Amino acid sequence: MARTIRDHVSEKLEKNMEDSLREALQGGAETGHEETAADGKQNGSSASRNNSSSDDEADLFTFADYDEAESERAGYTNYSYWGSTVRMFFKDKGAVFCLIVMIAIIAFTIIQPYLPGQRDPYTINTDSELFIPLRNVAPCAEYWFGTNSIGQDLWARIWAGTRTSLFIGFAVAMVEAVVGITMGVLWGYVRKLDFLFTEIYNVLDNIPQTIVLILIAYIMTPSVKTLIFAMSLTGWIGMARFIRNQILIIRDRDYNLASRCLGTPTKRLVFKNLLPYLVSVIMLRMALAIPAAIGNEVFITYIGLGLPATTASLGQLIEDGRQVMMNASQRYQLIFPAVVLSIVTISFYIVGNAFSDAADPKNHR
Amino acid sequence: MANELILSVKNLNVKFHLRGQELHAIRNVSLDIYRGESIAIVGESGSGKSVFTRTFMGLLDSNGYIPSGEILYYGNGPAGGTDTQKNSPSSGIDLSKLKKERDWRAIRGGEIAMIMQDPMTSLNPLKSIGSQIAEAIRLHQPDIKGSAAINDKVIEYLREVGIPEPERRCKQYAHEFSGGMRQRVVIAIALACNPKILICDEPTTALDVTIQDQIIHLLKELKEKYQLTIVFITHDLGVVANIADRVAVMYAGDFVEIGMAEEIFYDPRHPYTWALLSSLPQLGERGEKLFTIKGTPPNLFKEVKGDAFAPRNPRALKIDYIKEPPYFEISPTHKAKTWLLDPRAPKVEPPEAIRNLKDLDSVYG
Amino acid sequence: MVKYLAKRIGRSLITLFIIICVVFILMRQMPIEGYFQNFDKLTEAQIQAGLEEQGLLDPMPVQLLHFFQNMLKGDFGVSHSYRVNVPVTEILADKLPISIKLGSLSILVSLILGIPLGTIMARFKSRIPDKLGTLFIVFIQAVPAAVYYLFIQMYGTLLLDIPLLFDESNWKSWILPVFSMSLGNIAYYGMWLRRYMVDESNKDYVRLAKAKGASGNSIMFRHIFRNAFVPMVQYLPSSFLNTVIGSIYVESLYSIPGMGGLLVTVIKGNDNNMVQAIVLLYATVGVIGLLLGDIMMVILDPRISLSGKEGER
Repeated sequence: MARTIRDHVSEKLEKNMEDSLREALQGGAETGHEETAADGKQNGSSASRNNSSSDDEADLFTFADYDEAESERAGYTNYSYWGSTVRMFFKDKGAVFCLIVMIAIIAFTIIQPYLPGQRDPYTINTDSELFIPLRNVAPCAEYWFGTNSIGQDLWARIWAGTRTSLFIGFAVAMVEAVVGITMGVLWGYVRKLDFLFTEIYNVLDNIPQTIVLILIAYIMTPSVKTLIFAMSLTGWIGMARFIRNQILIIRDRDYNLASRCLGTPTKRLVFKNLLPYLVSVIMLRMALAIPAAIGNEVFITYIGLGLPATTASLGQLIEDGRQVMMNASQRYQLIFPAVVLSIVTISFYIVGNAFSDAADPKNHR
Repeated sequence: MANELILSVKNLNVKFHLRGQELHAIRNVSLDIYRGESIAIVGESGSGKSVFTRTFMGLLDSNGYIPSGEILYYGNGPAGGTDTQKNSPSSGIDLSKLKKERDWRAIRGGEIAMIMQDPMTSLNPLKSIGSQIAEAIRLHQPDIKGSAAINDKVIEYLREVGIPEPERRCKQYAHEFSGGMRQRVVIAIALACNPKILICDEPTTALDVTIQDQIIHLLKELKEKYQLTIVFITHDLGVVANIADRVAVMYAGDFVEIGMAEEIFYDPRHPYTWALLSSLPQLGERGEKLFTIKGTPPNLFKEVKGDAFAPRNPRALKIDYIKEPPYFEISPTHKAKTWLLDPRAPKVEPPEAIRNLKDLDSVYG
Repeated sequence: MVKYLAKRIGRSLITLFIIICVVFILMRQMPIEGYFQNFDKLTEAQIQAGLEEQGLLDPMPVQLLHFFQNMLKGDFGVSHSYRVNVPVTEILADKLPISIKLGSLSILVSLILGIPLGTIMARFKSRIPDKLGTLFIVFIQAVPAAVYYLFIQMYGTLLLDIPLLFDESNWKSWILPVFSMSLGNIAYYGMWLRRYMVDESNKDYVRLAKAKGASGNSIMFRHIFRNAFVPMVQYLPSSFLNTVIGSIYVESLYSIPGMGGLLVTVIKGNDNNMVQAIVLLYATVGVIGLLLGDIMMVILDPRISLSGKEGER
């Protein structure tokens, strides 16, 4: 199941972005074209010509001044890649809503511990008179989301868990981006390495990612670091291949070929065309790596290879909730974490996809 | 040539929704097409040639629509393969009002067929070319029944368009054919529809020059044999001279000059037609720069005021910027839309290069 | 064709070889408890003797060689904690049939539901069916399976009025596991089929088919669906893998006596030989899946030349 999302991420990237890069490059060419058009606009507007026309009919049939700049004026509407991307994104009301939710959640997980009246996620709460642990307290004014089976505050644990899971997600996305881009640039740019890398890719791509995850988690002592390691071990490959393909596309585009004939070095072409575009790829990748990482963490925790109990995580909360889920009065211990987790993953997923659609120049109409 | 109307376009407008704006692609255009003629629509890329002919078949992109105008189609009455009541020769069907898929299907293929620009992409890559021709036969020649009879007919058409070893090749797929051969297959598909009008949308642009010639010759032959009316879209004036009886010059979504081929070539009147003819490489003097038309076509997102070509016309009159010129009739078959033909206008001679054209007859042979 | 197949199978074998070596070497880095039944009670000498006996003290290449030799004989060692001293292959042979049954059923269900989903979404693009479908797909893709499986189990068992745990003889018991395992693939097939169909429908040959006068449905099924299905085909076998991975969780949730549930049990029991064998089995399924995907692609798409121009998937 982890593979489903992974696959989806990489394939969507491949398919969408390969097309869109091509388009973006064409768009870029178009943009250059427009600059001249805009220049022309300043030189002379048709209004000035209209003023010069008099009622004298005969005058109308004399030659008008010919202005070469004026003939270039026509052009097309001003188009900027980022402008259109942002505009497209904000047109999608659902995505904007999810973006707000996403930002709110990230902000809240950061400031939550510093808010007044927050409890520690690891303290076992006890009754102030009887000194017995307050186990399985249903949600109430005191404990908003209730307490778990050993008396810890579920509200605090959920936010602590979200913090851990988001951190893992971001870290995995970052590692994937850094390693993937480095390897991808080498792969695409150094021709001698192409064969070697392609063979390595073909082998690695054949290995089921979840199996790698299970194996690494099984061998190493569970911790946040090992989870990040295990999850990013395979993710960079897709990214690297993607970058490599982009470089090949850029290198072999006809107009870039032409540009190279004029003496522009490939390096310059790649960096001028690729780097601005990478920003959107990385953002998409980050947005989609987080739901994937959270899903993996839940899975790994379930099969007993998750984080130790001293680190709260969403996977752990789900697993704790699962154990009491058939008991109707304690079911909230599964439902609350599941709802928060779903809100997080869905908002990231939707924002990521909407952004990738908006970043696709084909949709800029 | 018989002066029997087959298609009459009256004040047609086509608009597109694009990036939240409206693009006025075809601006109040009228054109009569007569049975059995071959008419060429000439203009630079983006002038609206293809959009114009696509309206005949209801194949506008989904963001395009016809706000006003008529496209009257006069089929050949009772003998036609489609609905005979609607098709009475006197009234004609207004194609611009057709909405339903079913109504369009009665027109597409059987009445009007189309050959598209890029033979590399216009064949289904996963079906044998024989089966793609057979599909057209099944749709439009219901009297041919049984797979053996259809297969014979397929082979007949392939032979007709000059494909060697048709028995063997009809089982092959598009990727096993060269570009020229694919275009022949596309022509065979169009023939198999048994149409009255054949729209050729730049059928030779994507092909080698040597192949271009063969395809043009093939089309000429087939036109005689099947008594087709051919609408030829191109920006290649050499092709026009070769195949067209009549020429309509399109600029920025409007016809600026319409006339018999000889009239357009030997007595052009519109400055845009002059410019087009002057840019013919055949007219270039050795050692001199080839003529180019300065500037870019107007932005059709904005309403065009006056003569659309004025800003690019070194000889524009002041009135060109104010008032749209009407058609001035030069002969019963020749009209042009330019104020230069107004009696009040100063006398302007066509450029030197074009005047030489009269002696350069052989260039187009 | 033969050349391509030979090359492609050769690559898969190399991949498998590398996977086996890596898994084997990694497993040897594990704490040695996993090789003993009651490690805590053993003396140092007994442990040494045990290791010696299992060949775990030999240099790595020798161990690896032994492993390959045994593997070819069908010997993957014995279980140490799950069922003590029972050969791993014997345990797996017991567990395999039910997993295969479950997996095949779920693939079948996802094809039956996923293909119409994608087709309908493409046919009614940007209309209500498409939007509903998208909602479903987004939910399934974004929410971890590990979470919605729980809710299906929790509410599903209440709804169907069946016990939480699996009972092979009760047909009702099959519904929830099969359905759970199918959901991911339904969304997956639906999404890709829709996407490919929309892509195809913008191509020139579809325009030509329209210009020919073919009807919307005929174009949809004779041209678009067929052409969109070809690239789909390569995902079918690898989606089998998704199902297999899904089964690890589902089987364990419902205590289905299959391979997936077994993996979770032996991981928790630190049974090294068992974990190793099951991981290798899954890896093999994955490799075979991708291989089949490529082969099916070649068979179905006449454009891919048979002389072997691979790597262009």
